[in-house]
Amino acid sequence: MGSVTFDGVSKVYPGAKGSPSTVAVDDLSLEVGDGEFLILVGPSGCGKSTALRMVAGLEKISAGEIRVDGERINDVPPRDRDIAMVFQNYALYPHMTVAKNLAFGLRQRKTPRAEVSARVAAVSSTLGLDELLSRRPGQLSGGQRQRVAMGRALVREPRAFLMDEPLSNLDAKLRVQMRAELKKLHHRLGTTTIYVTHDQVEAMTLGERIAVMNAGLLQQIGVPQDVYDRPANVFVAGFIGSPPMNLLRGTVSGTTVSAGVFSFARPGLADGPITIGIRPETFRPTTEAGTVGPSIDLQVDVVEPLGDEVLVHGTLDARAAQSGAEAEDAVLLAETSTRAPVTVRLAPDSRPAPGDRMPLTADPMAVHLFDASSGDAIR
Amino acid sequence: MGRFRRIMGSDHIAGWAFILPSVVLILLFGLFPIVWGFVLSLQKASLLNPVRPFIGLANYQAIPKDPLTRKAALNTVIYTMMFVPSSIVLALFVASALNRKIRLIRFYRLAVFIPVVASTIATGIMFLWLLDKEFGLANWALGTIGLGPFGFFADPSQALPSLVLMTVWGWLGFDTIVYLAALQGVPQELVEAAAMDGAGRWSTFRHVTLPLLSPATLLLVVWSTISALQLFDEVYFVTKGGPLDSTSVVVYRVFRLAFTSGVPAAGYAAAIAYVLFIVILLFTLAQFWLGNKVVHYQA
Amino acid sequence: MSTTTVDPHALPGETGMVEARRGRWLPFSPWHLILMPMALLMLVPLVWMVITSLETLAQTRRFPPVLWPGQLQFQNYPDALGAAPFPRWFWNTAVVTITVVASNLLLCSLAAYAFARMHFLGKKAIYFLLLATLMVPLQVVLVPTFLIVKQLGLINHLGALIVPNLANVFGIFMLTQFFRTLPIELEEAARIDGASRLKILFTIVLPLSAPALATLAVIQFMWTWNDFLWPLVTLYNEPAYTLQLGLQSFQGSHLTEWNLLMAGNVMSMIPMLVLFIVAQRWFIRGIATQGLKG
Repeated sequence: MGSVTFDGVSKVYPGAKGSPSTVAVDDLSLEVGDGEFLILVGPSGCGKSTALRMVAGLEKISAGEIRVDGERINDVPPRDRDIAMVFQNYALYPHMTVAKNLAFGLRQRKTPRAEVSARVAAVSSTLGLDELLSRRPGQLSGGQRQRVAMGRALVREPRAFLMDEPLSNLDAKLRVQMRAELKKLHHRLGTTTIYVTHDQVEAMTLGERIAVMNAGLLQQIGVPQDVYDRPANVFVAGFIGSPPMNLLRGTVSGTTVSAGVFSFARPGLADGPITIGIRPETFRPTTEAGTVGPSIDLQVDVVEPLGDEVLVHGTLDARAAQSGAEAEDAVLLAETSTRAPVTVRLAPDSRPAPGDRMPLTADPMAVHLFDASSGDAIR
Repeated sequence: MGRFRRIMGSDHIAGWAFILPSVVLILLFGLFPIVWGFVLSLQKASLLNPVRPFIGLANYQAIPKDPLTRKAALNTVIYTMMFVPSSIVLALFVASALNRKIRLIRFYRLAVFIPVVASTIATGIMFLWLLDKEFGLANWALGTIGLGPFGFFADPSQALPSLVLMTVWGWLGFDTIVYLAALQGVPQELVEAAAMDGAGRWSTFRHVTLPLLSPATLLLVVWSTISALQLFDEVYFVTKGGPLDSTSVVVYRVFRLAFTSGVPAAGYAAAIAYVLFIVILLFTLAQFWLGNKVVHYQA
Repeated sequence: MSTTTVDPHALPGETGMVEARRGRWLPFSPWHLILMPMALLMLVPLVWMVITSLETLAQTRRFPPVLWPGQLQFQNYPDALGAAPFPRWFWNTAVVTITVVASNLLLCSLAAYAFARMHFLGKKAIYFLLLATLMVPLQVVLVPTFLIVKQLGLINHLGALIVPNLANVFGIFMLTQFFRTLPIELEEAARIDGASRLKILFTIVLPLSAPALATLAVIQFMWTWNDFLWPLVTLYNEPAYTLQLGLQSFQGSHLTEWNLLMAGNVMSMIPMLVLFIVAQRWFIRGIATQGLKG
């Protein structure tokens, strides 16, 4: 048990006098299977947290239905939904010990003391909280608090877990560690989990399926590798993948698609503008053996050796396109320059120097095409 | 390096120059009287006569034997025990009620806060009239629901509670503001977490909100106790200690002894004032000590 | 980002989810049914005072009380003004209050700045000493302070009210705490540029401290305006009375002329009420920060 269904769910905030209302979540429909680990990912303000809070019951649903195990829960108060939530800032009761924090939910439901102790002890040993039980949240480190917050949700053995960016306040190393622990935990318990994050790396590594949202709308839902390999639109293409996909403004003329000097054949497209997407790893230096495809010169600006790979930032003689997932200043820069800034991922033995002209090719079969106006992928 | 020294060196002079006027005034009118007050308590003194013979601890010894002083002490304690809990509990409920965004909330808050600016005398006049035995509005209103008529300030057994009513009305706004500010400091996430954990409205209040309000509660308990123990204006103005000394409180007794008794009792008055001071100090320390065990301060 | 609250005070029957919708008040909350009677109850003494001030003497001597006088006796107000030297009392109180407030703003700022930013010999000791005086209640120092003021020849003089209150320890503490929260870089930059401490205080620190100064001014104003015990002890001539003292004597000599008494009372409350309405933000902030500092 524990499947969660969003059926045409919307959340609208009425505006103050004179201003229009805000649509935080727009007609969201998706299914979270029983036992599935689904990630809602998107930039801040995209509606993912709002969607999560509607499942929790902390936000009223403006339209549509949310069902858990098939039953409609729109009007069920949070306490009766049998769902546990892990908050971004942990929301631990500061005046209670860790043990009391863990036990609180169970005590509220009049669980018999013996069972409470047993469950708290079990969760505590699973999460390594045994020495911390008599401490207060104020005496714990960030990572420890995070685990207590998780423990508080675990101990209730609910139908589903809701997690609102639980790792975002941890430092990088701890985050990686906790990700692994979360994955292990999910394997063991198999409880349905809906996890919200703005970090696409987290989404890709943790989720069984990921749902990408932007401006209240669901952009794409699927297995991480699918979303990566076959983005449904320009936004998903630019959002998922680090470094992001390079986007160029291209033109279709007859059977030829071209962006600057980079051109290849692709029949069946309507004449006119088109957006071309090339992943950093799709570019290969022409000197590499076995490369196929048209070539274009990269004017190298910055070289970042990362040890297992080299990231080369430069510009191409083409115009850049936008995905909608960029930071503001990047947009401005791209609009005003005549060359497209791109990032290329190369093998560690490549050693271009800043200022070099590096000829690159890209396999046209691996190039993504998107409609220039709607942004949808063209297959 | 020389410039650094110059700057650092001049701070001594500048520092003292800045604080000197205030310090002189406070030492003269604050600290020195504290010491002199103790000296007076060891003397037989009158305000008019500069000759003040030392009589050792006689003033202090007279205190427990003096029925009027004992009565004043008792009344003060009774008043305090009535005033402190009722004003704080009431303020908590009122602040909870005021902690929401609905239309007219600014009017409601204003209505609660305004009595704070009314002086003790102005309040006294309003309540003397309101609780007047013969023509007061209170007796009329209570009469319509079948209660009374009450003597209020004129009745020895009702005068002290009537004073409590009056002073609670006057202080409610103050306590409410403190609680309201504290309530608004309770993080929303905690309330949400409690809701997810299955806590109902009352449970959330009891287990989450109330503990987080404990610093404010401690402050209000200490502050209210101190001000209750020092009650004067209302007693002097409204009841003059009566009827039948039922509202005579310690500070009133001190005032009467020092300024209107006609006998050289200023030293005795000083002694009583000192004992009150010690009591207040002990009470405050005890409350803070107890408070630190119970109060939780947010990290 | 969402602006929802889960209302822990939702009445049973609501689904437990109440939203604070951005900008929109709830149309009719059941809370009005509790808040309105409560607010009216709090206002009863004040409202009744005003109503009574507009009644005739005969109307005040009726039971059941006359709830609405019919013809409003505005005459009571000039009558009250004539029956006692109210204008004189107003003036006395105003002089004392304004002087005390101004003096406190100046002296407390100076002292607080020194405690907050400067290092000088004996700073900690003096600070602690000042703290100690806060602990001592007024009645302990009542008689000795009276004797001191008598020595200075200020009895029966407005100076008796002004001089002992020129610098209030509470003000020093409040401003010290506040000054410490200001970013020190501004002052350091000025010092490197050669500005004197005094200049820094007046041209940089004080302008940034407007809220704290306003709060101090408003609270000190209220204390001084409403003070009763100290004027009672030091002033003995009616013309020298402050408003509170005058009001008390007025009540003493017009014991049952309730309509007149209420008119006088209303007039005496107007300055504080006006100040409150104009400066409520500072009042409330002053009281709230007391509670938050714990």
